Amino acid sequence: MSTPAPAVPAPGADTEGVQAAATAVARGTRLPGWFVILWRNRKCRIGILMLAAFVLVAVFAPLIAPYDPRDDAFPTSLGPTADHWLGTTAQGEDVFSQLVVGARTSLVVGLAAGVLSTLIGLVVGLTAGFVGGWVDEVLSFLINLGLVVPALPLMVTLAAYAPVRGLWLIIIVISVTGWAYGARIKRSQIITLRTRDYITAARFAGDRTARIIAREIVPNMTSLIVVGFMGAALGAIGGEAGLAFLGLGDPLTVSWGTMLNQASLGGAMLTGQWAWLIAPGLALSLLITSFTLINFGIDALSNPHLRED
Amino acid sequence: MAPVAYFVRRFLFFLGTLWAAVTLNFLIPRLQPGDPAEAIVSRLAGQSESIDPAQVQAIRVMLGTPDGNLFDQYVQYLGAVLHGDFGISYTYFPYSVTHMIGQALPWTVILVGVTQIISFVVGTLLGTWAAYRRNSRVDSVITLGSTFLGTLPFFWLALLLVYVFAITLRWFPERGGYGGGSSPGWNWLFISDAFQHSVLPAVALLITGPIGWIIGMRNNMVQSLGEDHTRLAVARGLPRRRVAITYGARIAILPNVTGFAIALGGILGGTVLVETVFNYPGMGRLLLESVSSRDYPLMQAIFLFTTIGVLVANFLADLLYGFLDPRVRKVESV
Amino acid sequence: MALLEVDHLSVTYTPRDQPANRAVHDVSFHISEGEFVGLLGESGCGKSTLGNAVLRLLSPPARITGGRVTFDGVDLTTADEEKLRELRWVDLSTVFQSSMNSLNPVIRVHAQFADTFAAHKVPGDVTERATELLELVALDRRVLRAYPHELSGGMKQRVALALALALRPKLVLLDEPTTGLDVVVQRGILTRLAELRRELGFAVLFISHDLGTVLEMADRVMVMYGGEIVEDRRAADMLREPRHPYSRGLLGSYADPRLPDVRVSYIPGRPPDLSRPHTGCLFAARCPHVEDACRTTHPDLLPDRHGLVRCLVAQSDRLPVVTLGSADAATTLGSHFPATGTLDRPADAAEAAPVLTVTGVSKRYTTRRGLRTSSVEAVRDVSFALRPGVVTALVGQSGSGKSTLARIVTAVERPTSGEVRFTGDDGTDVRVDRLRGAALRDYRRHVQMVFQDPFSALNPTRTVAYALSRPLANFAGLRGAAARERAAQLLESVGLAPAGQFLDKLPHQLSGGQRQRVVTARALAPDPRVLIADEPISMLDVSIRAEILELLGDLVRDRRLAMLYITHDLLSARLLADEVLVLNQGVLVERGPTREVIGAARDEYTRLLLDSIPNPFAKAAAG
Repeated sequence: MSTPAPAVPAPGADTEGVQAAATAVARGTRLPGWFVILWRNRKCRIGILMLAAFVLVAVFAPLIAPYDPRDDAFPTSLGPTADHWLGTTAQGEDVFSQLVVGARTSLVVGLAAGVLSTLIGLVVGLTAGFVGGWVDEVLSFLINLGLVVPALPLMVTLAAYAPVRGLWLIIIVISVTGWAYGARIKRSQIITLRTRDYITAARFAGDRTARIIAREIVPNMTSLIVVGFMGAALGAIGGEAGLAFLGLGDPLTVSWGTMLNQASLGGAMLTGQWAWLIAPGLALSLLITSFTLINFGIDALSNPHLRED
Repeated sequence: MAPVAYFVRRFLFFLGTLWAAVTLNFLIPRLQPGDPAEAIVSRLAGQSESIDPAQVQAIRVMLGTPDGNLFDQYVQYLGAVLHGDFGISYTYFPYSVTHMIGQALPWTVILVGVTQIISFVVGTLLGTWAAYRRNSRVDSVITLGSTFLGTLPFFWLALLLVYVFAITLRWFPERGGYGGGSSPGWNWLFISDAFQHSVLPAVALLITGPIGWIIGMRNNMVQSLGEDHTRLAVARGLPRRRVAITYGARIAILPNVTGFAIALGGILGGTVLVETVFNYPGMGRLLLESVSSRDYPLMQAIFLFTTIGVLVANFLADLLYGFLDPRVRKVESV
Repeated sequence: MALLEVDHLSVTYTPRDQPANRAVHDVSFHISEGEFVGLLGESGCGKSTLGNAVLRLLSPPARITGGRVTFDGVDLTTADEEKLRELRWVDLSTVFQSSMNSLNPVIRVHAQFADTFAAHKVPGDVTERATELLELVALDRRVLRAYPHELSGGMKQRVALALALALRPKLVLLDEPTTGLDVVVQRGILTRLAELRRELGFAVLFISHDLGTVLEMADRVMVMYGGEIVEDRRAADMLREPRHPYSRGLLGSYADPRLPDVRVSYIPGRPPDLSRPHTGCLFAARCPHVEDACRTTHPDLLPDRHGLVRCLVAQSDRLPVVTLGSADAATTLGSHFPATGTLDRPADAAEAAPVLTVTGVSKRYTTRRGLRTSSVEAVRDVSFALRPGVVTALVGQSGSGKSTLARIVTAVERPTSGEVRFTGDDGTDVRVDRLRGAALRDYRRHVQMVFQDPFSALNPTRTVAYALSRPLANFAGLRGAAARERAAQLLESVGLAPAGQFLDKLPHQLSGGQRQRVVTARALAPDPRVLIADEPISMLDVSIRAEILELLGDLVRDRRLAMLYITHDLLSARLLADEVLVLNQGVLVERGPTREVIGAARDEYTRLLLDSIPNPFAKAAAG
């Protein structure tokens, strides 16, 4: 994939400690504790602000974009001008409008595929780790299989067979290929947590398994789940951009990946339209940077060895 | 004390994943409703005016007899896979799929193999250095630098390289594996030509390649340097370098070794993006071409090849790990 | 000149998000050649930090903020790395607390010896020298070929000790070298250490929380409290007359369980928070002899009767006189602190009908390792009964099968053979070994558990009120305000009053002792008939152990609970239990009324356990 592995806490990281600190901090404020802790970290705060800016742009994209991103009534292959800040495409569309609307695609894919693969990973990881026995054997095999099957070729193959090329297909393909890493980490963390005496104590207090998982275990894994989601969202954003760049994305959706694909095919390099070439990549890069900065903070919190860096 | 039990377990896992990958490859085209061959043929027919009978034939060969039940098809398919028979490519008719893969494979193996090895060595060394000089200027430069480079989308970086060094400065050729003036073979003209063509893709791979190893190695080593046994080694008066290598890096490298083997296996398929940008005649571009021309037999074979490559590499990594980390071996009482 | 001199040493932790913590404050002491000095203190008192500072092994966020450490004339605090490296291990070696992690897991034991010799250019054959060293600690030479994970905890710690002696150092710093090991194994290692020291003549700084062990081994003892040394005295003098109230309190928590009347005292309260400024004596809040001046004037460590003490009352000679060295020492000491003694039980208790009967229970574990299967019999043919108002102690070392029995009795596991029966108040009779589903949950209403580790037994993200509300909701149907009110009653019944202060606290805001009380309150919530207490005091500081024992004893008496008290510690069994079952390798080897079993042990294993209890008073009485 085009992005490095995100910073994910090692199995056995002190997620309970993070959670205890977060619960303690949250008292007296209305914000969730983990957010307060992250906000205190400078790198993390910058990342959160950057991400918030992208979210705002995505939400208000139709208001910000000067033109319809699909309107090809303009002169073709223009360089930056006052009317077209980043020039126009080979089809005569406004690049800046495409850039603004493309933020939507990236964030929607990141959010949806992030949530979906986190959910798959959570369900598989929780079940494998908590139930144990042959269920664990089977699920662990699936997890390991998911880890070793090369993701991009699988994505390409799945996308090639799909009868329709919608954005949802991309999201599902990315989730199906990207859940295993999170599942493995959650499984090993739950195996650590389930041996805690407070789990046994909850059984002695008459609580049922579902309640124990939801109320005793999951709260102690929040930081892991958040980091897992961030990593999955990051992977999904990169994956969508890569697929779209290869021409395997949704042809009807404007995204940074399709923009780069068209810039490459439309001869942006030959006509010297550097803005068309640079803008989508830079936007993608800044979005990835915001995630990386936030992950720094989370990782520093949950990994005691890195905490004092 | 041979860690037999461990190896047996890893081998069983290897066989299991191999079977699962082969079966997955069988199932993916058949997940569509109705007769998959019909569905594919009609989709092809919808796209182009005339449909080549050879294409229909190739699809039939790939999917087996349509009237046979799924199990018969599966048995037939397993037999074909065991014989290395992946059918005929219909874009490159009459060449067999195996032939096409044989053509593309060396390009990818050499380009990506070499850059992967360099990335691993450089990345591991830089990560070790950063951890050894933790919190120093060297550490900040290495860590922040690799984090920054890691946020750049890989294919975009490759595009910029083409734009700057091939199109604007004209230092290197822009696309392809070799120029029109040379033909593949053991002659100087071809080799120097191929080398020139490989510089930009290699640079693209080398800029982002070491990042994962750097971060992984640094974090693992910071952790292993914080362990009690490392502190005791310091207390024992071992030279700092010795502590860093035998007690820090020796343990920190273990996960990276596994990762490296998998990355080597991933060579076959992980280069779709770079080969597309540089139009490089390797496996990745072949996969993408097969997808865009709907050459299903070729596509299936490449996916299977890639997966098997990764699985074999993963198995070898497991074996290596068994020798490198005594902890995974059977506990034997003294 | 002394071998090691520590002058006004201070160490401060400055974590990023928390206030700075003065872990070690203005500590001065010295150790002469060949001297065995004990450094004693409870968890968090700064003793390990002090040890690491002496070795210059502190890592951020801890750092030395003042003072000096001089070893053999060399200032360690300013020495450059190469100078330090030459001195390390040749003159100054150490054994860490966690034997589990102090050897490199991926290289063989032989290589770790070879590394050490190579680093200091020791000539000669590594194998030969290492073999000799292993013989010193009674290990076979085959250990050299092993990887650390192939050795047991005790073996690893012996290897660590052999390594520490490899270059015949002048001083060995031992930081809790046997904590976490089995009592019998501990005893073996300590005995060997004492012999080696006599043979080789090295000096020792022995850091431990275990006063009994320290007093038995050391020439001189330093007691640390709140980052300061509060008393420094020859061990024999300390035993005769400890001069700091804290030392007295600690000594009061020891006794010989074989005596006819055993009393053990405890120190109420908790250690000071070192991230806050303090005026006056740090121990004032817990001290039975506290005076007004103690709260305003910080005492200095001053000479006092052949030793040093940091106590205004002692320095002005107003401390009550306590002469120890006699068999009833603990009784005398305990008179100033709250104490608990052997409990009186209603005479009819032993005749009451049993609530829980275990008959002929065996448990076999089958493990599959690769292609081979092997099976271990953890428990063999064990029978006993628990009666209301009676505490039955199940005593044995780790691996003896006592935890397996606890899991069988609480229906967490099923026995391979035999039966467990529970008889309710209403005469219901339940086969515990066949329970499942709703019946199992119903059984747990009657049989509850107090866990060993109070830090693991409470969910770090849940308040005390939540922890208590669960059994109340599930077993008593209480919710909302009613549950909260009942939870408050439960807290007060375990001595956490006023309950309002505790209900909304998170576990990390409570001390170990307070947590263990919450755990006990939770176990009492369903109003059970049987309480299983699995080593409930072994993770607590010595000074508060007796306090929890007293609580458990009171609960059994007041609520007529049947209790199974699982422990490796015969002293606590003597204090709490009416009858004792001694378990060795899954078999009951001895049983009977507590006083008979402990006072006149017949079985060899029971006597071995008894001998493994550190007993400073025996030394005092003998010397």
